[in-house]
Amino acid sequence: MAEEKKQPRIGVFVCHCGTNIAGSIDVKAVQEYARTLPGVIVADDYQYMCSTPGQTKIDNAIKENDLTGVVVAACSPRLHEPTFRTATKEGGLNPFRFEMANIREQDAWVHMHDNAGATAKAKDAIRIAVAKAALLEDLYPKSVPVEHAAMVVGAGVGGIQAALDLANAGIKTYLIDKLPTVGGRMSQLDKTFPTLDCSQCILTPKMVDVGRHPNIDLRTYTEVEAVEGYIGNFDITLRKKARGVLTPTEATEKGIVGGGCNGCGDCDAVCPVIKPNPFELGMKPRKAIYIYHPQVTPLIYTVDFDSCIKCGLCVEACGEKKAIDLDMADAFETVKVGTVILATGYDIFPIEKKREWGYKQFDNVITSLEFERLICASGPTGGHLIRPSDGQTPKKVAFVLCAGSRDNTGVGKPYCSRFCCMYSLKHAHQMMEKIPGCQPYIFYMDIRSFGKQYEEFYYRIQDEGAKFIRGRVANILEDAKTKDLHVYAEDTLLGQPVDLTVDLVVLAAAIEPTQGIDPVRKMFGVSCSQDGWMLEAHPKLNPCGTTTAGVFLAGVCQGPKDIPDTVAQAEGAASAASIPIHMGKVELEPYFAQCIEEKCAGCGMCVNLCPYSALALVEKDGKQVMQVTEAKCKGCGTCGGFCPGGAIYMQHFTTPQIVAQIDAFLLGGEE
Amino acid sequence: MAKGYNDPAMETRFQDRYYHSADNPEFTKEVERISRTIAHMCFQCGTCTGSCPSAPRSSYRIRKFVRRAVMGLEREALTDPDLWLCTTCYSCTDRCPRGIAPTDIIMAMRNLAFKWDIIPRNFLKTVQLIYTTGHGVPNNDVNRAARVKLGLEAEPETTHKYPEYIPGIQKIIDHYKMKENADRILAEGEH
Repeated sequence: MAEEKKQPRIGVFVCHCGTNIAGSIDVKAVQEYARTLPGVIVADDYQYMCSTPGQTKIDNAIKENDLTGVVVAACSPRLHEPTFRTATKEGGLNPFRFEMANIREQDAWVHMHDNAGATAKAKDAIRIAVAKAALLEDLYPKSVPVEHAAMVVGAGVGGIQAALDLANAGIKTYLIDKLPTVGGRMSQLDKTFPTLDCSQCILTPKMVDVGRHPNIDLRTYTEVEAVEGYIGNFDITLRKKARGVLTPTEATEKGIVGGGCNGCGDCDAVCPVIKPNPFELGMKPRKAIYIYHPQVTPLIYTVDFDSCIKCGLCVEACGEKKAIDLDMADAFETVKVGTVILATGYDIFPIEKKREWGYKQFDNVITSLEFERLICASGPTGGHLIRPSDGQTPKKVAFVLCAGSRDNTGVGKPYCSRFCCMYSLKHAHQMMEKIPGCQPYIFYMDIRSFGKQYEEFYYRIQDEGAKFIRGRVANILEDAKTKDLHVYAEDTLLGQPVDLTVDLVVLAAAIEPTQGIDPVRKMFGVSCSQDGWMLEAHPKLNPCGTTTAGVFLAGVCQGPKDIPDTVAQAEGAASAASIPIHMGKVELEPYFAQCIEEKCAGCGMCVNLCPYSALALVEKDGKQVMQVTEAKCKGCGTCGGFCPGGAIYMQHFTTPQIVAQIDAFLLGGEE
Repeated sequence: MAKGYNDPAMETRFQDRYYHSADNPEFTKEVERISRTIAHMCFQCGTCTGSCPSAPRSSYRIRKFVRRAVMGLEREALTDPDLWLCTTCYSCTDRCPRGIAPTDIIMAMRNLAFKWDIIPRNFLKTVQLIYTTGHGVPNNDVNRAARVKLGLEAEPETTHKYPEYIPGIQKIIDHYKMKENADRILAEGEH
């Protein structure tokens, strides 16, 4: 920071951005005006300042005119600030000697039909930027080391894939899931479209892999309790929920030789408590000591302490293995990781809220996920599709698409849930395959078969005999005697109302973010969009990143996705999350607060105000002064704005710089 | 205006069926202004017709009326006698996934049709009845007997019991020239 005081010599560069800026702003007039501003040595303009010739202009101007500061009037700094900083550096200046004036997003685009006004505003913006540029100082980014470990939250297919990629890239990866097993939603599915391969068959190899990968530390039945720190250095406290059962490793640690759960199931056989099985959506019983489904990873039983009566029969049955501990309590552990991937998935929208479709009112109205379990060979009926009311095989089945999706009423979701069309086609295929003489009817608004081989799959299912009725279902009523259902809609292609009597109705219910995920999202400082899904850093150019450095997104938690898209995003997120780890360090923007110790009275008010816990009071030369942990400071300015003694100096946003900007705005101007 | 499907000559069955452009581009805006609902957001899912108690009993298709509103097909919408078959039960408005009030679109179109003197006779007779009695469906002897049997007064607490309020109602109807127009249109229909 110590530097020779030199008269400011500033170069201003005005970008046309094709016609984006030049279409509504008189660039020449703006450039002429910039030349008249105090301290400006050179003013230039160019079609595209971000292009190589544009950057070369900056580079050359610095060298030729011995500039001390550079101003580019162009787009938002979010787009090209890094580009122009690099150009400034190429010219031999400190990159923080660069200031950007946004005359596109905040000017040309919003005042498209007011040339004079937009031009005047551009002049103001440049005058303000020049005033700041005159006072800019050399700054040096701070780099912090990155922990050589990552965490993946959620072990569905997205989380599994991300963890495997990270682990295969040589990074120690903690994979955690709130459930007692990995697998997520995909393990509940029977077959997957459009290839019709068995969901479990293609998923279990990956489940096994994460279970035995040397670089993966698998923590099931575990939740995130607290998050501290920043990119490269997250300290994450995990709550290991009491599962009441010891793994063989845990048993050995306790000195029980050869003990621990081996998944034999003797406990399950004797447990007297019977509860609905959530994996089977309540369509099958489950004991108070259970495995989540037959293919769990890890194969360890879990005690449901909400329903366990602590009779001890299981402990007896377990015998010498001594695997069951009914007094187990939650345990906490803090682990350090460099980057994090959130892959927290989705839940089914409670479709009973749409009263007109009768879910939870009529026995024979089910959701698609229930259909998956009923058609699945390992499901509660052994793969025999039945009507819940009487156990009969349904012959006529109506599939209701967009059940709660594409719904702007407030009860439902405005977005498309993206995979319902395809799995409903698959459901139609599965029932036609299993039930001779059956007839599926698909009520749809649009069939969205957008993926690879998806349209061909639509063709195939239509060819197999499914009937498609273009109309959203208006109402479903039950025949009280037969429990058959009347489906009311309009066949919009005929313009005729339909009253179709069917044996079973399958609602392709909308999806929504996993219940109770908001606290986790907030712990990681990730925003959500209006629809509740987690917000990516940029919808097109940074779909895996978030606004929190070092935190990435994979799968449906960022928005509805089918399995191929989820896996693709998971691999993207893993790649993005591995970069800082492989670099070994990350550079932080040097916008830190600095304490001017002579002025600091040690009152400590700032310490409590800091939203990032970056400040502390320390003893220095016999007096209390504030100290900044630079890596934690985000440069928000809360402390600097508050400090009663003016003892806090905000780098790159100093009081003199901001005052100069305000003065330039209020005092300047042509007229 | 009676709804009639008297078998017309073959020529009319083979007439041009194209629609070329909106016959009144302002029609959509006009309908939206009166109905205060977002007709242009309709995506033609048919939930309205599927919910409609009138649709299975007639050729009335509310979805098609919304479509005509969106495409500016003013003449086609306002001259279709089906416009008057909505029972205003509001089932479609209840269920529309786009949050549109199709019922109010129909009401707006009926308002516009009335400006063209298009309105069924029974609606006009209702106007006359309200004008003279204060009721669209006035009390009658059967009702009176039923009311007395139930221990109620023969006449309800309305203009039937307080006919002195009828002139107030007439003043409102006169202000909008409803009675005047109803009488005129009915008289013209006599010829």
